[in-house]
Amino acid sequence: MATLPAFFRRTSETGLPALSGTQPERDPFQLRALPQEDVLLYCKKIDNSRLVREPDPQARGACWSAIGAACFLLAVLTSVLVPNVASTLAGYKLQALRVEERQLLDEKRTLELQEAELLSPQRLEKLAQGQNLVTPFPGQVVRLNAKGDSAVAMVK
Amino acid sequence: MVTERGMVDRRLAWLAGIVLIWGAAILFNLISLQVIHHQEYSKLATAQQVVAVEIPAPRGTIFDRTGQPLAMSVPTESVSIDPLRVPDLGVASELLALVLHLDRTALYGKMKWAHDNHHRFLWVKRKISYEEGQNLRNLRLEWIHIQDESQRHYPKGTLAAHVLGSVDFEEEGNAGIEKALDAELRGQPGQARVLTDVKRRGIDSQSASDARPGAPITLTIDERLQFVVEREIAAAVEAHHAKSGSVVVMNPYNGEILALASYPTYDPNLPPQPGEDSAARQNHAISVPFEPGSVFKVVTLSAALETTDLRPSSMINCGRGTITLFGRTIHEAHGGYGTIPMALVLAKSSNIGAIQIGLRVGQARMHQYVRKFGFGQKAGIPLPGESAGKVRKLALWSKASLPSVSMGQEVSVTTLQLAQAAAVIANGGLLVKPRLVLKKGNQTVPAEQPVRVLKPETAITMRQMMEGVVLPGGTGTRARLEGYTSGGKTGSAQIYDPVAKHYTHTYNGSFMGFAPLTNPAMVAVVTLNGTHGTAGFGGLAAAPVFHAVVTEALRVLDVPKDLPDQTPTAPVASKEESSDLAIADMESGQPNILEDADDEDQLAAGQAEGPSRVADQPVGPTVPNFRGMTMRAVLAEAAAKGLTVQPDGSGVARVQYPQPGSTLHQGERIRVQFAR
Repeated sequence: MATLPAFFRRTSETGLPALSGTQPERDPFQLRALPQEDVLLYCKKIDNSRLVREPDPQARGACWSAIGAACFLLAVLTSVLVPNVASTLAGYKLQALRVEERQLLDEKRTLELQEAELLSPQRLEKLAQGQNLVTPFPGQVVRLNAKGDSAVAMVK
Repeated sequence: MVTERGMVDRRLAWLAGIVLIWGAAILFNLISLQVIHHQEYSKLATAQQVVAVEIPAPRGTIFDRTGQPLAMSVPTESVSIDPLRVPDLGVASELLALVLHLDRTALYGKMKWAHDNHHRFLWVKRKISYEEGQNLRNLRLEWIHIQDESQRHYPKGTLAAHVLGSVDFEEEGNAGIEKALDAELRGQPGQARVLTDVKRRGIDSQSASDARPGAPITLTIDERLQFVVEREIAAAVEAHHAKSGSVVVMNPYNGEILALASYPTYDPNLPPQPGEDSAARQNHAISVPFEPGSVFKVVTLSAALETTDLRPSSMINCGRGTITLFGRTIHEAHGGYGTIPMALVLAKSSNIGAIQIGLRVGQARMHQYVRKFGFGQKAGIPLPGESAGKVRKLALWSKASLPSVSMGQEVSVTTLQLAQAAAVIANGGLLVKPRLVLKKGNQTVPAEQPVRVLKPETAITMRQMMEGVVLPGGTGTRARLEGYTSGGKTGSAQIYDPVAKHYTHTYNGSFMGFAPLTNPAMVAVVTLNGTHGTAGFGGLAAAPVFHAVVTEALRVLDVPKDLPDQTPTAPVASKEESSDLAIADMESGQPNILEDADDEDQLAAGQAEGPSRVADQPVGPTVPNFRGMTMRAVLAEAAAKGLTVQPDGSGVARVQYPQPGSTLHQGERIRVQFAR
């Protein structure tokens, strides 16, 4: 594969006219060459097995610096982005919870209404009549002094 | 000739130029978007991403004094459409009518009208059920809008309907407490801006204005008593074919109204129907004044005790049953009583006796006491439509006014005002303002300072005289309670026909009373309007309602008994006396100009028909011997035996009546005279 240095070197070796200076006039009817038309590409096998990399004492430091810089950059980006992402996710959660709270409050009100309807005196009296219960006379209900908060009632 | 390098340079320059222009274009667009058209695009984005959500603020719940909800709002939904966006009105109306159970033709008419008039909004149905809402959502039609609303419910149905009132479709109170305290009950909905994503899920929300729910209101009403009161007044109105009836049960010390009922009644859950009887929605207890009749004699006698030297034992000449004053002839309902003590004037409800007493009081002082008792002015209950009744200015009184007012005519009062007046006697002479609202939110509504109307001793004397009304020989024996002492006054006022300009034989039968006698836990006033014949007199129609209501109320409020359990026999003399009165009434067929009759004529029959407890249980408690004992010892022994003693004087007990060893009749007290 032709590299740019190889290409420029080959151009000078093959005697292509220099870009500046005296250049022969071109035939006006000649088609203009396409860029790099005269470059012949060929494969050359290069054996680099004998080459030994010369140790660069500064390369390791540069590498760590690059890693460090990348980590730093990542940390900065993360510290900037994570709260935003977390906030967005929390926002989703919060909104869902708010909707649920409203639904539960609505449900609670509906249940309270049902409870109130079930405990209405008219309904209780009908139920009592169905069970052949009678209204106690004054003084017939004896409230016992129960321990704690519990209340106990007894009919004589 | 252009060299190769020049060509490359030129191309590079072009490329750079293009890149530059491209960059510049982007930059320009960025500036255009971010700076020049920032607000425009910002608005567009906001409109797309931010949704304004209304935070509901439900109307406040109304509780009774025990915390039972009497009125509450629950969330519901309403359906509206944009008629101009409906693709096919015929199909749409059919679909909506099917899902919402509406009349298809009527709905189509409404939609067509709205469409033709270019209206962009039309309510299809409000307060839909949950199932209807779900079915509608499943249609997924963008021109149907479902909006959150709330609906007022009265879970106890007709219970306390006249106190609670009702709301209109916009949940605005239009009667009762709902109207009077609308500002407190009505919530202020809040608004929140919710930032949504592309799927319309909420990401973040900001509260634009906080929701302010309506304040809960706690009434002084006790739903258990209210139920009993409504049941009894409904039964009484039906039984006596009366036009209407009302009852007020009140705590005499702080004015708290424990029950306030009016019949006929209505269900506040249902909107008014065309052709509905408007009387059902009228609160007769506070809005419909009537001539009180004999119950007003309590005011006359109180004024006499305060301003004259008359005492319960003072003898009053009631004549032979007829008196002619200023050209008007006034008859006793049941013949003449002769000369009787003032206490008996009240017990027998003598019209002539009351007039004689009223004449002793005088016009100015009578008018003053009528006003002092709260008549002719609103009681100040927080309910709309309260009537002040009518008490004419003193300057407008004629010569015949004093006799008329003395026996409860020429004035009009409400049941609530009578309860207020009864409370004056029951609490020791203080006029208390009736209270209906116990708490607004968490704050207790302070009670107003009562005003002294009578001296305590006058009130106590009145209580004792009013006890005579329910004891044998009185006009209100049917109000007598088992296990408790009580006092009261019957009233049977003829209804004046303004067209025919005379009193008719329809009555306002009423009873006002309190129990127990020594430390009254409650006062109750029962009024039946438009009863017919003698059966509609206060003692026969209203007193039994008082009995039923107060018996239940004393049980519910756990008031300890102040009479022994065994019921003593009624004195025989009382029966004879009642029979005599019945005969006298039958014999007197004369027309009354100012007739105010009570039910003594029915008493004997009533007692004969009533439970046989009186005849079956002749034995009462035996009177102990208090002679020689100190007052403290007498009171301690009496309390231990459940007896009521009426002490007089100071020192040691010298004289007592009834005598030691004798049997004490129900409601009878032992009078003990102390001396040093």
